[in-house]
Amino acid sequence: MPEYKAVKISKGRNGWGGPLVVKPTADRPLIYSVTGGGIHPVAQKIADLTGGQPFDGFKSSAPFEKVAVAVIDCGGTARIGVYPMKNVLTVDIHAATPSGPLANFIKETNFVSGVGADDITEVEQ
Amino acid sequence: MTTTEAETIRYATVVTQVGPLVPDFIHQGMLVFFGENAPAELHDFSVLHRPDVRTGGLSVGDVIDLDGHRFPILAVGSVANDNLVNLGHIDLKFNGQNTPPLAGDVCLPKTTPPNLAPGSTFQVMCADPTDK
Repeated sequence: MPEYKAVKISKGRNGWGGPLVVKPTADRPLIYSVTGGGIHPVAQKIADLTGGQPFDGFKSSAPFEKVAVAVIDCGGTARIGVYPMKNVLTVDIHAATPSGPLANFIKETNFVSGVGADDITEVEQ
Repeated sequence: MTTTEAETIRYATVVTQVGPLVPDFIHQGMLVFFGENAPAELHDFSVLHRPDVRTGGLSVGDVIDLDGHRFPILAVGSVANDNLVNLGHIDLKFNGQNTPPLAGDVCLPKTTPPNLAPGSTFQVMCADPTDK
């Protein structure tokens, strides 16, 4: 069994929400990238530091119960609220603030935006 | 300028599925598209489609054609073109705004969006063929 580690993900420039602490588990191992062009570098870095499993949401599907964190490149309408609504921690590459039809589900405790690779740091255990 | 000059097609696609919540979004003046390989959790509120042309280059002044209904583009958000080319994703906002409220928005004149069904067509055309 892989041993998982925690990371802290902070908002980037002009970003909103967080910081979130993400630690995959055996039940929730997936770093779920719902972004253009395959696994986003932010998702890859989270996977590298935590030991989680990078997963491309546009290539195949996975149940939400398996997802440790969703990484999106949403401009503010649709994906921004879908994963918070499903109680999935959500990292937006773009510096979006709560908006769109599902804005009510987006909280500082389940969403962080404007995130780049430098905004992901290891957590001492 | 002549009326016969060719239009450059930036994007062309055919609708394959319309989610059950799309009418609610239409009611709010909004249409959300995703390529048909989008994850299942996005299907309910999305128009899914299979593109034939994915050149991109969305610009203000281009024309969006939905089943023959033509709408001039008033504003293009900073991430809208990348979303369209990479994911088949576009948020059409029929809000009449000249500046995009959100980075993913493409703004069109304020009106009720047309109803779409499987087989409907969606095209983005550049009116000026010298601007590729």
